[in-house]
Amino acid sequence: MAQARFDMPAQVRAGEVFKLRLLIQHPMETGYLLDLNNQRIPRNVITDLRCTYLGQEVFRIEPSSGLSANPYMEFFLRATQSGDIRIDWVDDRGERGQLTRTLSVV
Amino acid sequence: MTQLDTQSTGLARRDFLKVSATTAAGLSLGFYWPNRGDAAETPKLNAWIEIQADETVIIRYARAEMGQGSRTSAPMLVADELEADWKKVRIEYATAHENLRTKRAYGDMAAVGSRTIRNSQEYLRKAGATAREMLIAAAANQWGVPVSECTAALGKVHHAASKRSLSYGKLAAAAAQLEAPKEVKLKDPKDWKIIGKPLPRVDIPDIVTGKIRYGIDAQVPGMMYAAVAACPVFNGKVKAMDASKVENRRGIVKVLNLGEFVAVVANNWWRAKEALREVAIDWETGDHGQLNSAAIMASFKAGMGQAELAVARDDGNTVQALASADKVLEAEYYTPYLAHATMEPMVCTAWLQGDKLDVWTSTQNPEGTLAVSAATAGVAQDKVTVHPMQLGGGLGRKSPQDFTRQGVMIAKAMAGTPVKMVWSREEDIQHDLYRPASLVRFKGGLDKDGKLNALHIRVSAPSILATLLRLPLPKGVDGQAVASFNDHPYDIPNSLVDYAQRNSNVPVGFWRTVGHSQNPFMRECFVDELALAAGKDPLAFRMAALGQKSPRDMAILQAVAKAADWGGPLPKGVFRGIAETEGYGSYTACVCEVSVSDKGEVKIHRVVIGIDPGHAVNPDNIDAQLQGSVVHGLSAIFWGEMTVKDGRIEQSNFHDYRLMRLNEMPVVKTVIAPTGGFWGGVGEPTQAPLAPALCNAIFAASGKRVRSLPLKNHGMSLKA
Amino acid sequence: MPQTSHQARRRAWLRHSLGCWAALGFASQVKAQGMVSGKLLSLSQMLDPIVAGAKLVRADVHIETVILADNGLSVPFRVWVDSPMTAQNHVTHLWLLSQRNPVTVMAKAHLGPHSGRAELSTRLRLAGGQQLVALARLSSGEFRYELADLIVTEAGCVDSS
Repeated sequence: MAQARFDMPAQVRAGEVFKLRLLIQHPMETGYLLDLNNQRIPRNVITDLRCTYLGQEVFRIEPSSGLSANPYMEFFLRATQSGDIRIDWVDDRGERGQLTRTLSVV
Repeated sequence: MTQLDTQSTGLARRDFLKVSATTAAGLSLGFYWPNRGDAAETPKLNAWIEIQADETVIIRYARAEMGQGSRTSAPMLVADELEADWKKVRIEYATAHENLRTKRAYGDMAAVGSRTIRNSQEYLRKAGATAREMLIAAAANQWGVPVSECTAALGKVHHAASKRSLSYGKLAAAAAQLEAPKEVKLKDPKDWKIIGKPLPRVDIPDIVTGKIRYGIDAQVPGMMYAAVAACPVFNGKVKAMDASKVENRRGIVKVLNLGEFVAVVANNWWRAKEALREVAIDWETGDHGQLNSAAIMASFKAGMGQAELAVARDDGNTVQALASADKVLEAEYYTPYLAHATMEPMVCTAWLQGDKLDVWTSTQNPEGTLAVSAATAGVAQDKVTVHPMQLGGGLGRKSPQDFTRQGVMIAKAMAGTPVKMVWSREEDIQHDLYRPASLVRFKGGLDKDGKLNALHIRVSAPSILATLLRLPLPKGVDGQAVASFNDHPYDIPNSLVDYAQRNSNVPVGFWRTVGHSQNPFMRECFVDELALAAGKDPLAFRMAALGQKSPRDMAILQAVAKAADWGGPLPKGVFRGIAETEGYGSYTACVCEVSVSDKGEVKIHRVVIGIDPGHAVNPDNIDAQLQGSVVHGLSAIFWGEMTVKDGRIEQSNFHDYRLMRLNEMPVVKTVIAPTGGFWGGVGEPTQAPLAPALCNAIFAASGKRVRSLPLKNHGMSLKA
Repeated sequence: MPQTSHQARRRAWLRHSLGCWAALGFASQVKAQGMVSGKLLSLSQMLDPIVAGAKLVRADVHIETVILADNGLSVPFRVWVDSPMTAQNHVTHLWLLSQRNPVTVMAKAHLGPHSGRAELSTRLRLAGGQQLVALARLSSGEFRYELADLIVTEAGCVDSS
């Protein structure tokens, strides 16, 4: 599974809008380049990434080869209650990744 | 995430005039041109001209000067329309940070692709013309006469009817208050007074007296020096480093492990370089340490036979035409990897002070330097100053920013201290971005009258665009790899050009003239082979093949043939060869006169080399480019070759990567034959026709057909 | 997620003719090209397939990015939309569109009132200098957009004549 990092504030107030930062180690192969055996490196990008909070999907992004290797993303959520924030993603090869953090809401 | 420069997304884009008078009552003219929809070309300008009260005309030059002379010829374009007195012109650099601040008022700043003149000529001439009109208007206002009765010449406005004159220095302040005309009429070439004159380059006195400052000459108080070593096997990384032997040596400040390379920082460069030799570095090379020249050639050959190819040109039905041709000729040609070996190696001096970065480097691409430096140092782009320096040779090596990135990484590690990084010659030759090697197969078909009817050219070679720039290739074709093939000028009904992309771990880049540095050799030599098979004179064969379709190719071919007296008598043992090709918007041709001894010693009696660049802005400069191309070209043709063993380049310095010597220089006759009506480049195309003309002459003299370079591999040498 | 066949893609890529180059009149021949790949789409070519006739206004969307890049491999890009992000009035989707890349839709993001803020930052991969478009769909079904021009310096002696 790819290495990934997920940052968000340790604690937020209810109703507060906070930022999540995500960095995933992934080559995001465009499919246009050849390897050194002169074989085309097949396209392999993260095609779908979803963020679930308290069981509900709160953010989703569908990247393409237009995002750079080792994709970095920042997006926002509104805090309601404490609970798990889960990030799931899948790439062209069907390989999945996942990160979960618990959000503490006061 | 680094700080970002905010684009003006909220402001409406509009064209407006910005003028400001300098405090010394000079004139600084600023222009904004409307923002254009197509992002690929950017002919914008801003503040090109300043006129001081003492009549000095400051003209800005926005690209790099690396010996190609455009720091002189580009301002000539401005000065001519401006009607300035060239003796009063002083040329100053526009800077990358100024370009950023003014939202690219100076346009593209890269000195690459032989395009400084042809891409900027229109907006430079317009800048001159617009300023001239404002100066005339200011004089007319002062005299109370119609503008139509006034003329400008040599830095003065004249009103003939009243015999009055005013100099630009006196008019500048008033002119600066006026609104620039939206449209100006540019001069007809026949009215040019400065353009077309063989004016000496403005930097020659400083070069000759040693006053000139190249990137390597940067001096900053408190500066340290860095010597660097990257992995000799390409794409390797540092696994472990032991600097204990040198860390505490006198003068050694720090030894840095920066992942892809090691840097020794010391209080002088010699100490740094010597200490670096004794730093024990354990490199992680993966499988790349197995690579050698034989394996690379095997890969090229495999490409020649691969099933899937990218098609670059497909006219008519070449396969069928060849099958039914009267005579078919087939030949395989090869050109090797070449190093740039600019006289000045890679250098970068950088100084990070807090969130501010200063960079002094020899770069062909100051905006690229700015962007890479900012990203590497983690500072905002508008806090980076790239100080313009003269380049001790560029040749296409100094546009990619790999070396400036190293310099800034070192400066970041030594934050607060300016550090000058200099590559040794060995590091330079072994960490180049090489001119790609290329294996090419030709198949030509002649009809019963000996006329060229079909041509199939297959290229098996690396792709610079896909590997260095990681760009997707339209239709899988790298245009540089097939240059001179997919756009050949011959009027034949069947042409097929296909391409097998065959990369290796040897990094490739843009060597001067790029694909045109090698493909014309192969094409024009094969054309000679076809001429021979058809029983025709090489010049006549070419003229028949060109037909009516390519008048400019025909014109330069005939001009150079005439200048060389093709067909005329020659001393015993002396033979001629000819070639014609095009590139970078210009047309070139060459005739070489050689004799070859039994021992393979090639005596070049004369090189006649010519170009049609459309308009010849500075003929003296073009002469220099033609002559310089002969030097650069002959070095590559006779000795230039990189060989690979154990994943690394075997050559390291000029003892095994030989350059031409002074006493080996042949007589060169230059032909500058501008036909007008277009603007072609000069810096690179001048080299293109030399290799085939020479090898065709060698065949005529010795019967030996050379199908690969360098000539030393055929037992040939250059006789002084 | 459907898997794409490696072989089929490769053949399709090599035989993909005329799409880009015919538009430039290079029907059967590729001249030595400039560094950038492909042709430049017009604004309407980028927007129409998504907007499909709905109301489109150039307002409320903001872009923050660099003006200059040495190469296009990793370009920081931030976009935000003025929106209260309430259940009644929020941004539902954000598209990042490329004028020149082989794939026009670089990313499509799905937002909602739970986002709290209609803002996204990421790093783009660009096939050369071009115009970028950030397009937002509102819960009303209307669209908003903004443009940014990005310059990627040309690093080599490419013959683009």
